[in-house]
Amino acid sequence: MRLIPACGVPNVAQPLLQVDDLRTYFGTPYGIARAVDGVSFVLEHGETLALVGESGCGKSMTALSIMQLVPEPAGYIDGGRILFEGKDLLDLTWNQMRQVRGNDIAMIFQEPMTSLNGTRTIGWQLVEAMEVHGKASGHAAQHRALELLTRVGLEQPTLVLRQYPHELSGGMRQRVLIAMALANEPKLLIADEPTTALDVTIQAQILDLMRDLQRALGMSMLLITHDLGIVAKMAQHVAVMYAGQIVEYAPTQHLFRQPCHPYTRGLFASLPSRYRRGVDLATLEGVVPQATNWPRACRFEPRCPYHWGTCMQMPPRMLGTAPGHTVRCHLYDPTVADRLSLDTLRHRGGDVVKAIGQTPEAEANA
Amino acid sequence: MSAIAPLLSVRYVTKYFRLRTPLFQPTVYKRAVDDVSFEIPHGQTLALVGESGSGKSTIGLMLLDLLEPTSGDILYEGRPFSARRGRERKALRREMQVVFQDPYASLNARMNVRETLTEGMLVHRIGANAREREERAAALLRQVSLTPDALERYPHEFSGGQRQRIAIARALSVEPKFLVLDEPTSALDVSVQSQVLNLLRHLQRELGLTYLLITHNLDVVGYLADSVCVMEAGKIVERGTVDDIFDNPKEAYTQRLLSAIPSLDPAIQALLAQNRP
Repeated sequence: MRLIPACGVPNVAQPLLQVDDLRTYFGTPYGIARAVDGVSFVLEHGETLALVGESGCGKSMTALSIMQLVPEPAGYIDGGRILFEGKDLLDLTWNQMRQVRGNDIAMIFQEPMTSLNGTRTIGWQLVEAMEVHGKASGHAAQHRALELLTRVGLEQPTLVLRQYPHELSGGMRQRVLIAMALANEPKLLIADEPTTALDVTIQAQILDLMRDLQRALGMSMLLITHDLGIVAKMAQHVAVMYAGQIVEYAPTQHLFRQPCHPYTRGLFASLPSRYRRGVDLATLEGVVPQATNWPRACRFEPRCPYHWGTCMQMPPRMLGTAPGHTVRCHLYDPTVADRLSLDTLRHRGGDVVKAIGQTPEAEANA
Repeated sequence: MSAIAPLLSVRYVTKYFRLRTPLFQPTVYKRAVDDVSFEIPHGQTLALVGESGSGKSTIGLMLLDLLEPTSGDILYEGRPFSARRGRERKALRREMQVVFQDPYASLNARMNVRETLTEGMLVHRIGANAREREERAAALLRQVSLTPDALERYPHEFSGGQRQRIAIARALSVEPKFLVLDEPTSALDVSVQSQVLNLLRHLQRELGLTYLLITHNLDVVGYLADSVCVMEAGKIVERGTVDDIFDNPKEAYTQRLLSAIPSLDPAIQALLAQNRP
């Protein structure tokens, strides 16, 4: 194992996971779809990072890339690095990667029924997960399976052990999946929309459970969701994704107080609430562009109320606006956004500015 | 009861479903809806909230006259469903339409938009000839902010939000007065959800529509509804205006439901509050 990550970050505290310029592409009849296009982020030990975005923004594909479960042969990882505890997962062989999956990194998906084998009992599947990784076998595994089911709050764990997936409710199945993910005490749990298929009260229970277990086990979590409410509840850091890129990355509190990217601001302004009764919600005009045909410069430019000429000519860089808060937008680039353009944009984005409350300029000055 | 008769009143409605039981065993019934009464005034939105299995969709189906209540009655413009027969019953179904959750499932993939929008008109004999119906279909598309060139296209050519607009246009094609909105935005992304919600609000104002909103998204309820009925296991456990229910939930179940929803940071709530007109 390399002691110092090759990126040159001093080894004071090595992050658990560091993704660098990850690119996952798909060959399609219409050209190359760049589903994940230069995604970088860091996930610290014991921390939860939320990947937020709308369907098709590449958030699930980022997770599958980390697990190296990108659907082949159409999809492939074109470049980048996925440093897990300092070693690049992309350098591993298929068999080595199998050891990492389910052992060091576990994943739970949105629809628990499709992740479970319908022809085997819950107990059988839990024991299998442990035996594959040589963690336990025979009676020890049986015992641990029971312990895990108790741990995830199932009321009759001995009964559940003997039951088949179809005999359980959605919430119970998701608990079983969490138990299975925890079976080998992973260091990182990737949860892809873990509660989207569940009822609100069950959703709250599952989220609480995940948070408690995470604290107790000191796991890190990569949480993929489109629900900003869940982000506020669960995550310490947020990465907002749009069109295959991270457009804003910030500590959760900071992002919610001061969203910077026009896309993030638009998302917040479009949330329905009883405080907005009788007024139109902000909308993001247009649709997410096709992954085969991202806009060449700024990918949000066609839908952006603030856009001006430069946005069509030059791709924006990731820029810091506050400690730990970075944003991919020309508005925050002092070398690009001169006074003139700021004035124009304020004029153009008037409606949105009104809806959101504050101009980016005011924030940039603050 | 208010001076103006409500558009719909539901009186002591109950719906039991017979469950499968082994032969020679006593029959068991599931009380999907149990002695429920409420009224929806003209031009207003009533929201039914509750978890899945609480009976809210069953009520929606009964209001649409697609399910017969086991007991009780539903009055539309003061006249019970059961008293209406034949042509009058058919006319009733024209006045009540529905928009479902999943616009991928609710549109017929083999019908283009023109066929989708004119089918209901044909059934209810709206429009003198094909040409007139097509003009009406084009007007409907404009009403839901789509361009008339969508007429010849098929559902798979549209995004989720566009499909939901088509589903709304289809519901409006027979000039209804009452719409059941069954989770109308649950399958949509946030930025698209706001477009559909704006559209629903505008349509209600322009056409004087009455809505029954079935959803478990309380933010959508807060934005769109006038009053709320909270349902649990087939019964209405609490009812009131949106502000009543949100600020002062009395029943433990309502409180649990409200607290279960991960609410946004208070800072955002404050920001939202500033945006109050």
